[in-house]
Amino acid sequence: MKPSSLDIDRLRDVVRQLPNDALMPSREAALAHFDEHGLPTLRDEDWKYTDLSPLVDISNRWLRAGGQQQAPGDRRDAVERVLGSIDATWFVIADGTIEPWTARALESGAIEVSRLSDAPAPFVTGRPLADLNAALRHDGLRIRITGHPEKPVGILLADRAGTNAGVAQSCVEIEVAPGASAELIEYHVSEGDEDHYANSVLTMGIGDDADVKHVRIQNRSIRHVQTGRTSLALGRNATLRMASYDLGGGLIRNDIDIDLSQPGANVAFDGLYLAGDGQHIDNHTRVDHRVGPSTSSQEYRGILNGKCRCVWNGKAIVHKGADGTDAKQANHNLLLSEKAEIDAKPELEIYAEDVKCSHGTTVGQLDETALFYLRSRGLDKNHAIRVLTHAFAADLVRRAPVSAVMEAIAEIVETRLAELTESDLIADILS
Amino acid sequence: MLEIKDLKTRIGDAEILRGLSLSVKKGEVHAIMGPNGSGKSTLAQVIAGHEDYEVTGGTVRYNGQDLLELAPEERAREGIFLGFQYPVEIPGVNNAYLLKAAVNAKRKHQGLDEVDAFEFLKLARERMAMLGMDPKFLNRGVNEGFSGGEKKRNEILQMAMLEPRLAILDETDSGLDIDALKAVAAGVNALRSPERAIILVTHYQRLLDYIEPDYVHVLSQGKIVRSGDKTLALELEERGYDWLREAATG
Repeated sequence: MKPSSLDIDRLRDVVRQLPNDALMPSREAALAHFDEHGLPTLRDEDWKYTDLSPLVDISNRWLRAGGQQQAPGDRRDAVERVLGSIDATWFVIADGTIEPWTARALESGAIEVSRLSDAPAPFVTGRPLADLNAALRHDGLRIRITGHPEKPVGILLADRAGTNAGVAQSCVEIEVAPGASAELIEYHVSEGDEDHYANSVLTMGIGDDADVKHVRIQNRSIRHVQTGRTSLALGRNATLRMASYDLGGGLIRNDIDIDLSQPGANVAFDGLYLAGDGQHIDNHTRVDHRVGPSTSSQEYRGILNGKCRCVWNGKAIVHKGADGTDAKQANHNLLLSEKAEIDAKPELEIYAEDVKCSHGTTVGQLDETALFYLRSRGLDKNHAIRVLTHAFAADLVRRAPVSAVMEAIAEIVETRLAELTESDLIADILS
Repeated sequence: MLEIKDLKTRIGDAEILRGLSLSVKKGEVHAIMGPNGSGKSTLAQVIAGHEDYEVTGGTVRYNGQDLLELAPEERAREGIFLGFQYPVEIPGVNNAYLLKAAVNAKRKHQGLDEVDAFEFLKLARERMAMLGMDPKFLNRGVNEGFSGGEKKRNEILQMAMLEPRLAILDETDSGLDIDALKAVAAGVNALRSPERAIILVTHYQRLLDYIEPDYVHVLSQGKIVRSGDKTLALELEERGYDWLREAATG
């Protein structure tokens, strides 16, 4: 299968129409790199389950229509909803543009914020979609956490599909100073009936002895496309507790890279994905244990119903000399329909001597005994199915490391599961 | 209340109940005893509506309706309760949620409003105290990490909240120490009423020291081979089951 390719001439035009600011050199460098390497295809091992042609199509329509960024409009319902329900210090990037009112008043002295264009960093060759992001981004947000902010730091990436195909690039760089601590919320949301593609890049450097709790929520319209790369690096004795929730989205690809190059680093991350008809959610994670001792553990869970496909690919690389590494991976899936498909692939590459590594993957259906138990208590079949699927998800909701978002997540999960389990397909498979 | 006639069931190729008849009237407590594999648990599961068992013959009528026509949840709402031999652990669903959902499903069926949250909690706490259960079990996952005794108490708690018309307790005594057995028996005895029937499925006579049955039936190879009063249980305790099995086949 040969994917259609991005219209590189139009892309070049659009990049060159961007304001000639401090970011222009890196845009040009990224464009050149992208031009040379292009987008990944199904022939690339890391991309063999995820066909990027929908985003190519949306991007080309957007580029050919002039590649205009949506004018920053009024604050949207989606933004109001999120800001109104979760108490945090919020930064908002709407359609790729940093909202000017964002973080006007930082109450806590523990956070410093600036734009990437204030102090542009030289372009570092990234991955194709990160290059595309660097070429097209208008600006980005740089957040430095120097102390212990009382409230969580929230980053809301909100897009609205306009009258044409829309494309938004967002970039956030976070630095957590040594010994600092923070709770982070990264919230992706979109609305609108038209096609939309969002491409995000988030990098975070966590200093020695720092402690970060990070929750990612993706609740895009199920018509929309999102790709995102999250690159995290931990310092000596740093701790990261992270959880990702993919609760919406049409075509979603998350790449999470975690670099452990200092001894004593400790990362635990979980993920939950819920998919129904027409959705495709792909989670690729990679942990590099470069020195020991260091620990990583991850558990992803998925609930799939209808004709949909999910991918979980968890890679852990224990580099030579990284003795004392402890790496755990788990992926569990609940398939409520025969049409749902999961590609689950744990990958361990071990080049060190003294390591503890484990992985486990399960794909299953609802437990019939538990189902009968609930029905024997008077719950009708659909209610019992909802309760059991909810229970499967609830564990991961409870593990959200930032307590301020737990209720919001629980609410979306509940609504989404109610939608997913209303389908007649479930009745088919269980009767 | 419950009228079983010549009931035959199978699971896969195995024939389990082979023409069982039993009549239970309201207010009565029946004990069903018998050796392992005689079909005791099958009977309990079939009355509750487990779909793995195929009914190949006979009838089951419950308060005048054909019980076999009803889905498990409909049976529950009509007042049938099965206390499981192996209560299922459901991590992630808290006990209070299940209790409330169960009570409300029944109330809705009866045309009543949902239970008032305050009243519900008050009642649950009372019933838990009666069973010697710590109220914190309300907020734990259903049977999650419960000991054997805690699981059985939790079954009786559900029964006490649902106030069934017909309760079937499947080996509720198995795996209980003496204190737990007494607490469970006290819970069951508190629910004895002229309007309610109880079927105790048990392997041992021990439970019947604490819950006195009106009738005792012995099940062997899928049939009731002998019925009597509580003295039959004592006789079984002394003589075992073999003499009955021989009597049945001989």
